[in-house]
Amino acid sequence: MRSPIRIVFEQRSETPKRLSILVPLLSVVAALVVGALFLLATGYSPIETYSNMLSDGFTSSRGITDTLGLSTVLICTGISAAFAFQMNLYNIGGEGQLYLGMIGGAWAGLALGDRLPTFVMIPVVLLVGSLAGALWVLLPAFVRSRLGTSEIVTTLLLTYIAASLVKHFVYSPGSFFVTKNSAFPQGRLVPDSAALKGIGDTSLYPTFFLVILIAVVLFWVVKKTEYGYRIQVIADSPRAAHYAGINANRTTLSVMLISGALSGLGGAVLIVGPFGRLDPGIILLGYGYAGIVIAALARNNFSAIIISGILFAGLRSGGDKLQISTSTPIHIGVMLQGAILLFALGGEAFRRYHIHAVRTERATQ
Amino acid sequence: MNGNIWVLASADSVAIATTLILAALGALFTERAGVLNLGIEGILLTSAISSFLAADSSGSIWLGLIVGSLVGALLAGIHAVLSVVLRANQIVAGLALVIFGTGLANFLGKPAEGKTVTTIIKPLSFGPLSDIPLIGPIVFRQDPITYASIVIAIVSSLYLFRSRPGLELRATGDDPATVDAQGLSVASIRIRYTLFGGLLVGLGGSWLMLAQSAAWHQAATTNGVGWIALALVVFAGWRPMRLIFGAILFGFTLQLPFTLQAEQITFIPSALMQMLPYLATLIALIALSRPSTRNKLGAPKSLGIPFVRDER
Repeated sequence: MRSPIRIVFEQRSETPKRLSILVPLLSVVAALVVGALFLLATGYSPIETYSNMLSDGFTSSRGITDTLGLSTVLICTGISAAFAFQMNLYNIGGEGQLYLGMIGGAWAGLALGDRLPTFVMIPVVLLVGSLAGALWVLLPAFVRSRLGTSEIVTTLLLTYIAASLVKHFVYSPGSFFVTKNSAFPQGRLVPDSAALKGIGDTSLYPTFFLVILIAVVLFWVVKKTEYGYRIQVIADSPRAAHYAGINANRTTLSVMLISGALSGLGGAVLIVGPFGRLDPGIILLGYGYAGIVIAALARNNFSAIIISGILFAGLRSGGDKLQISTSTPIHIGVMLQGAILLFALGGEAFRRYHIHAVRTERATQ
Repeated sequence: MNGNIWVLASADSVAIATTLILAALGALFTERAGVLNLGIEGILLTSAISSFLAADSSGSIWLGLIVGSLVGALLAGIHAVLSVVLRANQIVAGLALVIFGTGLANFLGKPAEGKTVTTIIKPLSFGPLSDIPLIGPIVFRQDPITYASIVIAIVSSLYLFRSRPGLELRATGDDPATVDAQGLSVASIRIRYTLFGGLLVGLGGSWLMLAQSAAWHQAATTNGVGWIALALVVFAGWRPMRLIFGAILFGFTLQLPFTLQAEQITFIPSALMQMLPYLATLIALIALSRPSTRNKLGAPKSLGIPFVRDER
């Protein structure tokens, strides 16, 4: 039996421009409303919480530099996710690839010591970190391109393995990565030559501009190069790509590896920047998972990722400081991230379809 | 070497399998209907903390289990609305659910930090049966939910392969157009089984909390069990009976690090040992999930594809 009123989804031939802006905007508002309900239910003041988040994340000068600093790594994981997602490759293991980037970056910094000048060391650390990230996606990428094994769960499982690896390198006695004879296990700081200074003594590091540059370059690669065109064709129709003589397996492999390298770069950025050492604390931060949300919200558009990356960094950085200022659980930031994405996904339907109700005669059976 | 500890380890494998069986069964029902819900990990975590809070404030374990299960269904409802009604990308929707669920669980879990549940689900005792060497601890000293999970799996198998609604469910995952032509509502079937799947996952999460960990350890409470459950569904070829054995097998890898530590077998560093369950799952997945093998195993043919009547 069907109800007399039916909801009809009519595919839009063209998406009105205003909806492209309205949908993400309303998603944020709706998520904030849901967050407010949870805050009210647990006895916190939503207005106080949000205004604190706003000033700690966006409007104070300290807040702005902290936000931009944090956005550096989030934009890395965001473009990492988007680069794979745009070809319908769901590399959701950016989190683990980020850990590997930290391991690789810290290893390069510690192994080379003070022997090289900063202008050589920094690129080397960033490069080794990126390579380590790419290495971590090699197995899923290979089995996906050769055997067709779905990359979704394999990349994710490798994140848990990477987390164990980080703990092993920090907690096992006599590890290369830790300070000898320290009272408690702690990663060894990389030498000064591999450590950047925050701009004007803030938590914003010059790597921010490098990452923005990479996002812009990727935007150009996807829109303007033959490689980008190949990716689009495979994404739109694997069969058409096949007839056009495009080697989808090779493209799959390279897209996955680049995606892994970008998350790895995010880990290395933490080594030359705020962390300076291999720190198991990274496991609780979820910067890699945030990249998935950032990419999805920006609908895999690299220039939009810069904006959504900064927005989420503000949300996180404002949320993280809440506990100090108001004792509100910091996790409200992560929860809002998820809620925004859920609403954005729902809103996507209104962008793609013209949804309206029509009255139908009762089905006779 | 102490033989007894290996008996206890085997008993633990069966016990730990409870969450895996329930979570994987939840995923199995959802996927059999053609809906891919990757949000299992987030649902497990949120229902775990919900059951903790409910049991802690009411003093009743059973209320904890009920609340946890309902929260599981509620979260699965979000996924159902997004993927069935609004036809969103199911992969991204599932991931969003993991992130939302993790944040929500940690937020709700704030007052629970450092507390333990006062009453936990206790193993049953069958008198002399429980004292039989070897078999006693493994078979006759489990808790009621562990037995229930195995019964649920057996009943699910009968339902799926021997009943009319089970046939309709399988058909919805394989060939929704035919189900639609029969005058059944594909959307309604998919929504119902997504909700039911969430209920089972929620029960699994609640049991994990109230019988296994007894304290809230944030995301480490579930520690990736939801993802292992998703792989287990593939491993079991979308069949509930095979799922029981797979769950015990994966359960063994999950508790092995602890057993080895208790036995003071330390030639493999403990942090590396903790990789074992994920590594085993990864290998199993790669061995079994080539598309050709997947189809032979019995993957629902329309898994993850929204059903749209008018198109095509």
